[in-house]
Amino acid sequence: MSHIVYGVWNGAVHDYRDPSKPTPENPVALHGLDVFNEGNPIRAFVGDRGFFVFDKGVSLIDTFWRYMDKAAEQSCGKCTPCRMGTVLVRDALADMRQGNSSALTLDDIVALARQMTDTSLCGLGMTCGKALLEALENFRGEFEAEIKEGKQPEQEGMVYVTAPCIEACPSKINVPQYIDYIRDGKPSHSLGVILQKYPMAATCGRVCVRFCEMACRRNLVDEAVGIKTLKRYVADYQTTTGALTFSKAMIAQSLPPSMRVAVVGAGPAGVSCAYHLLLHGYHVDILEAMDQGGGMASIGIPSYRLPKDVLLSEMDIITQLGGRFLFNQKLGRDYSVDDLFARGYRAVFLGLGCQEGTKMGVMNEDTSLTGYDSGIGFLLKVHDHVAGVKPIKLEGDVVVVGGGNVAMDCVRSAIRMGARTVHLIYRRTRDDMPADKEEITAAEAEGIVMHFLTNPTEILSADGKVTGVKLVHMRQTEKDTRGRRNVEPIPGSERVLNCSLVIAAIGQQIQSGALTEKDGVSLNKWKCVDVNKTSLATSREGVFAGGDCETGPATLIHAMAAGLKAARAIDDWVRRGYVRFFPRSRMRQILRDNNVLASDVAEIPVKSEYRVHHPELDPNIRKQMFEEVERPISREEAYHEAKRCMRCYRVYSVVTAEPVPESHN
Amino acid sequence: MDVQTITITIDGKAVTVAPGTTVLEAARSVGIHIPTLCHHDDLCSEALYSQTSESDRSAHEENGMLSTPSSCRLCLVEVEGLAKLHASCALPIHNAMTIHTSSTAIRHARRDILELMMSEHYGDCFACARNGTCELQKLCADYGVTSERFGRPRAPLFPMAAPGNIIVRDMNKCILCRRCVRMCALYQGVYALTTEGRGDHSRISAFMGREMKDAICINCGQCINRCPTGALTERDDTEAVWHAIEDPDKIVVIQTAPAPRAAIGEAFGCAPGTALTQQLNTALKRAGFDRVFDTTFSADLTIMEEGAELLSRLYKGLVLKDNGARLPQFTSCSPGWIKFIEHFHPDFLPNLSSAKSPQQMMGAVIKTYFAEKNGWDPSKIVSVSLMPCTAKKFEAARPEMDSSGFRDVDFALTTRELARMLKQAGIELPKLEETPFDDPFGVSSGSGVIFGATGGVMEAALRTVLELVTGDKVECLFDKADIKPVRGFDGVRMAEVTVDKVGPVPALIAHLVPDFEWLKGVTLRVGLAHGTINAIRVLKDIQEGGPLSTCHFIEFMACPGGCLGGGGQPIPTDRDIRSARAKALYSEDAHDVVRKSHENEDVLRIYRDFFTEGPLSRKSHELLHTHYKERV
Repeated sequence: MSHIVYGVWNGAVHDYRDPSKPTPENPVALHGLDVFNEGNPIRAFVGDRGFFVFDKGVSLIDTFWRYMDKAAEQSCGKCTPCRMGTVLVRDALADMRQGNSSALTLDDIVALARQMTDTSLCGLGMTCGKALLEALENFRGEFEAEIKEGKQPEQEGMVYVTAPCIEACPSKINVPQYIDYIRDGKPSHSLGVILQKYPMAATCGRVCVRFCEMACRRNLVDEAVGIKTLKRYVADYQTTTGALTFSKAMIAQSLPPSMRVAVVGAGPAGVSCAYHLLLHGYHVDILEAMDQGGGMASIGIPSYRLPKDVLLSEMDIITQLGGRFLFNQKLGRDYSVDDLFARGYRAVFLGLGCQEGTKMGVMNEDTSLTGYDSGIGFLLKVHDHVAGVKPIKLEGDVVVVGGGNVAMDCVRSAIRMGARTVHLIYRRTRDDMPADKEEITAAEAEGIVMHFLTNPTEILSADGKVTGVKLVHMRQTEKDTRGRRNVEPIPGSERVLNCSLVIAAIGQQIQSGALTEKDGVSLNKWKCVDVNKTSLATSREGVFAGGDCETGPATLIHAMAAGLKAARAIDDWVRRGYVRFFPRSRMRQILRDNNVLASDVAEIPVKSEYRVHHPELDPNIRKQMFEEVERPISREEAYHEAKRCMRCYRVYSVVTAEPVPESHN
Repeated sequence: MDVQTITITIDGKAVTVAPGTTVLEAARSVGIHIPTLCHHDDLCSEALYSQTSESDRSAHEENGMLSTPSSCRLCLVEVEGLAKLHASCALPIHNAMTIHTSSTAIRHARRDILELMMSEHYGDCFACARNGTCELQKLCADYGVTSERFGRPRAPLFPMAAPGNIIVRDMNKCILCRRCVRMCALYQGVYALTTEGRGDHSRISAFMGREMKDAICINCGQCINRCPTGALTERDDTEAVWHAIEDPDKIVVIQTAPAPRAAIGEAFGCAPGTALTQQLNTALKRAGFDRVFDTTFSADLTIMEEGAELLSRLYKGLVLKDNGARLPQFTSCSPGWIKFIEHFHPDFLPNLSSAKSPQQMMGAVIKTYFAEKNGWDPSKIVSVSLMPCTAKKFEAARPEMDSSGFRDVDFALTTRELARMLKQAGIELPKLEETPFDDPFGVSSGSGVIFGATGGVMEAALRTVLELVTGDKVECLFDKADIKPVRGFDGVRMAEVTVDKVGPVPALIAHLVPDFEWLKGVTLRVGLAHGTINAIRVLKDIQEGGPLSTCHFIEFMACPGGCLGGGGQPIPTDRDIRSARAKALYSEDAHDVVRKSHENEDVLRIYRDFFTEGPLSRKSHELLHTHYKERV
């Protein structure tokens, strides 16, 4: 635990400079602020609501000059106070730190900092002067003493600019920036911001679970900005003239032919990893068990949510960048990890996914029964049906067990394939369902019958065919010590629901047989690949893993983020033999651990303007087909939505004892 | 349905407004002035919404720039219960609030912002074309910005514009309000300007950082009219004109367009809409011009040529089914519009009337007909024009505008430039006596005068064409010959009139059509558009086979309001000012003795004496018509 010498945070002044006074109990709990990287103590920390000095010798003038220098660089330049305020304060501090006389007095700096805080247009200007203002109001003596001293010593450290939505996004997309470009009428620039992180913008713009929107500060005013909708808007711009074309010309520096990497699995994690490696100049082959790319995004997401051509056009980006897909190549069946190294690949990325349905563990759960399927197995059949490979028509009633998005996909697909009635069985309440609320509402609109607080206990069958499921009603228990309610069966409430198909959509795991002991890649107790969380390196040298096979079934955006992270680590490992320290990740960890970006009060008396919603096809029409349900939004709708963004940029800075390694990253 | 209203308190005054009204608008409605440099009345959503029809609105929305950027931060106000100051231009009223627009905190915040603006503002007021009309200068005076608290640049931060630009930008004076960007996009649809860079590297830039002369710009000058400072001005030709006036070998003649007369008084402190036509003649004579001619004469000439062209086109198109005669015919007197169509819609060039604009026609006849008549050497004549327009400078310089062997027009001055010249010459325009125009281009018709307002060209053309065709007075169809359906400020308008009877073909145009029987019972449809954003809508509608594709004749004006809202007119401009100028023009028309182009004696004389083969003859083609080219 670092000891604060002095500082201000959230308006509270902390001052423990006088050694004669006993150091009081540290009233602010800060986590992980003692060292930045190993052996490199943090001397000061500056953020949007204050600052802390941990080392008495820190130069405040230099500390705030570094901070303001970044703020000036990030200012968009639209409003006068931020555009000129940041520059004038920066230049004045720069003069002072050099020991030169400054054109502005400390009073002028106070006036400017206050002006920025009170009158700026967006979150950057409103917050970047705050800590300095607090410092000057409460610790002016320190500044005056430093001015008297003259030239200040050089300090080390790094400055980081982010926003709540950026931090919430696993891929750390610069959300306010891509929204800004929409507002400026430059959708192609906007797309560029997204493509810095992953290639599947149109896919993500349709099916992302939107951690960014949960973190959006616009929630404090009315409703989150439709970030996902806007992403789809710019991604769909790719279908118009003036679309960006991918080619090898985008690769800054191509590496020699020996620099080859194998990516196992053409799902979101693998494709994202391959994309970044290709852009780094590597020669990448993606080995895929199926006969086309997309992985879970292809088989796990029905086409009424994600049209196949949209996904496939994003797979093409890999080919356009010079990558190769090797289809029908299944790990464990056609090749092993050893084989890959024998073929000359310098490193391997495992993005296998979790392709095997988890069993419910009820009586008579025989997976060979006709009419029994796992969620993922069923969606695979749906995929073939839509692709025209193997059309199927459902008859009678269908029961789907589970409350997640896969369960939602199953029920909504089943109704489209002719099922008479589709039932959803979920053991908790509607509010507890992990599926997207929009998905649940859409399913209800399409006539899905929902049974909440209900659990299956047995599968009924005759002649090897499913005939129904036995269900039991559940009730919520009292809250446990952690405040969570559990559920328990109500004895004697059993009933039978007849059906011809039961789908267990309660979870997935790595396909058995894909990784064997010989591969030298160890799994953890959840049967997922065990990795070092910072580098995604597995127990085997040169093998990295990410996506569902590492985390268990998770989201598209998590998988794509893992692909980027792994690509960075693979690049380091291949070229340097070790994975570099990544200071931005460390900074994010500090922000996360100390809950620095937690929601505060938004004092923006803006009009309550609710977000744009995709126009949808009529439920009665759409439930008969796999046509995409959500229609695109118009240019003006996109502009209006973009205008709702409050640009909650924040600047964070640390001053450290030693240079921060790789701080140019 | 009841319109819901909200009552808020501004500086102790109760104000009842519709929900969504901004605090700025509410305050102004009760006479509380809140300063701002980025908001402009023409660019606030209300103006954009009211000047345009429902479909215009969506056009604006599509352009995605409807709301004020609220970037200058001068319109800050206090909202009771909230700690910070808030920009009133971006503060819509949705619940009862109590607002204070003046307090020490607000005053100081505004002063600090002005000082911040001055900290990146290079240039001296005395050396600026906007000295006296600069909004920044005025606010600095109002808020007592006397010190250079945050410093001033001692050297230019941006290079000066290269010579040869008609629209001259000086980024050293720019405060990044973005009015020019929005004007160019929202009213003109040209998108010549954009913002570039971040932070203190932000600047307004033409595409790829080009000079304005190399950018796709139509020179309409609407950006200049909205600029709060001297960052945007037009090329200054006044010195060259003074030089010509002082040259004893030169005969300097000037023609004055109708729109400047109704506006130049504003530069001398007169109320908008003060017409100073005859006083201006006196002033110009005093300033040293040898002859003062009335551009409305050549406006009448334009109507004769363009009207004859229309009848000939209709005959070819409707009777001879000649595909070469493209309909609808488009007017060609707005040089901004001409450059616009050359850049953006070359496919429509065949629709343009080949008639030169009145400025160029006048220029051509001055150096031929007038020179011959007076035995003057055309090479000694310096032909100057007073125009409400910056694009006229470009038009005058078009290489093809010299069919007489001499430049039709040597210098095109804007209203602002001429006002400056008169001030330099110590001429107090409003106090002068009246002097008539000089012969032989001194008689004007009311039709020529209303060329200055949107719809005016169309009204003038209809008065003449209908009389030529029917042989009846147009007053039989429209009371007092006021063709009201084509007047107004709606962005796109349509009107129609059915030809019930036809008369014999007048001798003047007998070489063009054998008879008018084919026009009997035909409903003539006309369209109007002003502001090139509306021209885009019209062209799109024609392409899609919409109602405007059925028109026979369409008037296009590049500037909102027509010439009276031209880019060379006095600053400021807003809807009220433009309405007042329009009123002045229509009132001059109503009081004119001659109100129809084909009744202008001077015009009839030039066809008797000079263009003896009539309109659209070989000679008139050579001198009064032109051609267009695709531009990239």
